[in-house]
Amino acid sequence: MRTRRLERRPRFGVFVTVLFFGWLYLPILAVALFSLNDKKSLSAFSGFSLRWYDDLVHNSALISSLVASLEIATVSAVGSLVLGTMLALGLERVRGRRGRVIGAVTLLPLVTPEIVTGVAALLLFTGIGLKLSMTTVILAEVTFSIAYVTVIVRGRLAGISMEVEEAARDLGCTPFQALRLVTIPTLVPALVGAGLLVFALVFDDFVLAFFTTGVDPQPLPVRVYSSIRFGVSPAINAIGTLMLLGSALLIVAALTVPRLFNRGTSSLDLITGGQR
Amino acid sequence: MSTAPMAVPDPTPSVTLRALTKDFGGTTVVDHLDLDISSGEFFSLLGPSGCGKTTTLRMIAGFTDPTSGTILVGGDDVTSTPPHKRDVNTVFQSYALFEHLDVRGNVGFGLRRKGLDRRTLDRRVSDMLELVELGDKGGERPARLSGGQRQRVALARALINQPKVLLLDEPLAALDLKLRHAMQAELKSIQREVGITFLFVTHDQDEALSMSDRVAIMNDGVIEQCGTPEDVYERPTSVFAAGFIGTSNLMSGTWSAGCVTVSDTLSIPAPDHRGSADGEPVSVTVRPEKIWLSDLTPQMFRTAGTIVSNSYHGATTQYLVSITPELTLTVLEQNLPRMRTEDRWNPGDRVELGWLPEHTVVLRTTPRNRSESALRADARASAGTPEKL
Amino acid sequence: MATVAATDRAAKAPRSAQRTWLWGALLALPTAWMVAFFVSSMAIIVLLSFGRTTNDGYPAFALRTANYRAIWNDVYLELFVRSLVYALATVVISVLIAYPVAYTIARHGGRYKNALIAAIVVPFFASYLIRMYAWKALLSDEGLVNSGLRKTGLSDGVTFLNTPWAVVGGLVYGFVVYMILPIYASLERLDGSLIEAGKDLYHGPVRTFFSVTLPATRPGLYGGILLVFLPALGDFVSAQLLGGANTYMMGNLVQQQFAEGQNWPLGSALTVGMMAALTVLMVIYLRATSTQAREGS
Repeated sequence: MRTRRLERRPRFGVFVTVLFFGWLYLPILAVALFSLNDKKSLSAFSGFSLRWYDDLVHNSALISSLVASLEIATVSAVGSLVLGTMLALGLERVRGRRGRVIGAVTLLPLVTPEIVTGVAALLLFTGIGLKLSMTTVILAEVTFSIAYVTVIVRGRLAGISMEVEEAARDLGCTPFQALRLVTIPTLVPALVGAGLLVFALVFDDFVLAFFTTGVDPQPLPVRVYSSIRFGVSPAINAIGTLMLLGSALLIVAALTVPRLFNRGTSSLDLITGGQR
Repeated sequence: MSTAPMAVPDPTPSVTLRALTKDFGGTTVVDHLDLDISSGEFFSLLGPSGCGKTTTLRMIAGFTDPTSGTILVGGDDVTSTPPHKRDVNTVFQSYALFEHLDVRGNVGFGLRRKGLDRRTLDRRVSDMLELVELGDKGGERPARLSGGQRQRVALARALINQPKVLLLDEPLAALDLKLRHAMQAELKSIQREVGITFLFVTHDQDEALSMSDRVAIMNDGVIEQCGTPEDVYERPTSVFAAGFIGTSNLMSGTWSAGCVTVSDTLSIPAPDHRGSADGEPVSVTVRPEKIWLSDLTPQMFRTAGTIVSNSYHGATTQYLVSITPELTLTVLEQNLPRMRTEDRWNPGDRVELGWLPEHTVVLRTTPRNRSESALRADARASAGTPEKL
Repeated sequence: MATVAATDRAAKAPRSAQRTWLWGALLALPTAWMVAFFVSSMAIIVLLSFGRTTNDGYPAFALRTANYRAIWNDVYLELFVRSLVYALATVVISVLIAYPVAYTIARHGGRYKNALIAAIVVPFFASYLIRMYAWKALLSDEGLVNSGLRKTGLSDGVTFLNTPWAVVGGLVYGFVVYMILPIYASLERLDGSLIEAGKDLYHGPVRTFFSVTLPATRPGLYGGILLVFLPALGDFVSAQLLGGANTYMMGNLVQQQFAEGQNWPLGSALTVGMMAALTVLMVIYLRATSTQAREGS
């Protein structure tokens, strides 16, 4: 009778994983650390100071970029949520080749290098005579983000068996009522997760914004990029730290908030196929 | 002491199916079904996986459109009525509860759609929760309930709307054995109390036999036999029906002069059987518990055999008895108090078997029973007339 | 159980005509949007690639192949090859990192599995730009790494930036998560006893990996390869911030034409060329992996 051998913790695997996490977080922590440095140096830490953050607050150009980015991210999140959910619902229920073709087309932005999408958007807007501005950024970002929403919502929809919708109709709902009263409320956790995720992605997005932005105001990543071109500096460390922090909080929220809705599936599970 | 007049049972059948057919890309899943389910009946659709029972249920509920045929509910033609307008409610196999609503929200959902006022609705929900013994769980979310509790919410949610017929799609399949038995009894008593027609779909024959007023055995899209549980068990009318329920000791032979000749040494008399011609191949079956190994009476048909094996099942002992090299019969004996362990037969023992002639059931070996409308359709097809949809 | 599922599927397949109008209507608006913005913008790239630049420096539509002839030269081709090499290197390194990490978390993460994966995912979805900058800061001559090397006397200062390794490292840093997640998902779905059985059978972690783990996680691996290779090929941020003129990738070239060079038709042609190459590679890849799937496991 052979006894079950418990798999010993593979030292190689743990070693690589620890190294990986270290490699992953080292630059981030370095940036954060040196944003609090009281001297300009990026290699020698001399003392704590919030001076760089103080400078940020007084940098009006940066503030206007921040506000612009927040606006862009919000509108894009809402827009892509609406369109992406409609798409997910339609794709999940409509059968046949038409559905599959549309489904494939909507996933194209995900596999297209961002530079191509950026160039395409730029050409389109210029071609139809639309002046580059925050609006054009939003239009481009929504087009790109629909795919994320669709994937997440479809994942959740697949988990909601058809029978729940049928139950609603069995109990007296028209198809539209079933959608409004049962399907969408059940989707809310996924919608919240997807919305937060899109917000974070759009807020941080650089490439698309770079090609489609107007002159003023520029989205935050674009302005930061211009500064980076000139070189490294603690000021960038400060704004970088803030951006990382902000996004991190948003992503964590996107991953955890859906769980709060009684055992909802988090976006993480949907990405990794965990729960279902 | 009630002075109210006794309720007259509604003569209109709750459900009527006429020539109900469903084709899926070349395969006929439901083939010209004819069925009448009486008001207040507990009716089961029994059959193996893939026989078309779930499809039939879904057509009655309105989720699948029939290829042809008509569906009447309470006398009204609902064949083209959308599900939300039919006076039919369903208990789904997965329960399909609304996770974003609490129990009261789930149960009262159908009544809200009907526009009932708040007070009446609350009262009816409370009454229904009492009926399914979930009175204290009204504010809970479905995620927090056990499997059995969720099942009862699903039942309450459907039943509260007082439909003409309640459809149940293998609702107990997900429960463990003990719970399932308990729920079977509960369902039966609730049905009696409420008086609503239940149409119960299952593949579990014990379930169907123990709960139903009538059972329809389905196979390959066709109803093989429809009758009371006793009819179906004691007097199967088709080889499939005999084989599907319980152990059947199915034997094939030839009919001649009031007997079924199974082999050179075995010829079983069947005095009650009519309709077979001499020389016609038939099947014959006798239930294992009807066969005696001791205390045989003169009226019994007798034959001899050798015990092949025995197995002890607590309340019963099951024997496999070899009659001929090709024929082995299963015999079920109850372990009566007067019997001693030594009385049990052992492998190798020669025994005499006997059973009453009325327990011999002869079955024609013709193709499965076709419904009237199916036969008419066949006739029309061979005559070249297009079928009226 | 399989036959029950089959009946269920069969019963659910056809939808009544009464219902499809709603879902079709729902599809209409987003599809219109995608066609309007995505499809037409792609079309315009192709159109403009045949265009020309006016004397005032504005792009104009025309019908010339001049741009395509222009990109078919040694310099650009060398750039293309370099991009391919960098992207391939990125994929290989990503696979080498992703498997141990995903495996360790999936099989030995226990309660902390989700937290660990979140700890990986969160930085990745937070500002790619800033993370590239962080490496620039770290690896620059005044950065932490170099000052550390100088202090410990190990060396006088190594130029990390402006090298292919910096760029590839940046690419890996940017995209390895897209390899980890699919492989992790595959591993999660894997039945643990399969690997146990493999260990008993193959008597060695390496053999077990190649004979059991790898084939079983193939879909995750293939997905990951695609998700890493495509964006890496077209990336320009890493090369811009961490590299120099000698590490330019296709993406940098394209960006130049649009942002600085102001030669949009040429840029369009370059983009079309890049997309064409990508599509060809994808098709070859999909063919190869699907025949493998048919023949293999």
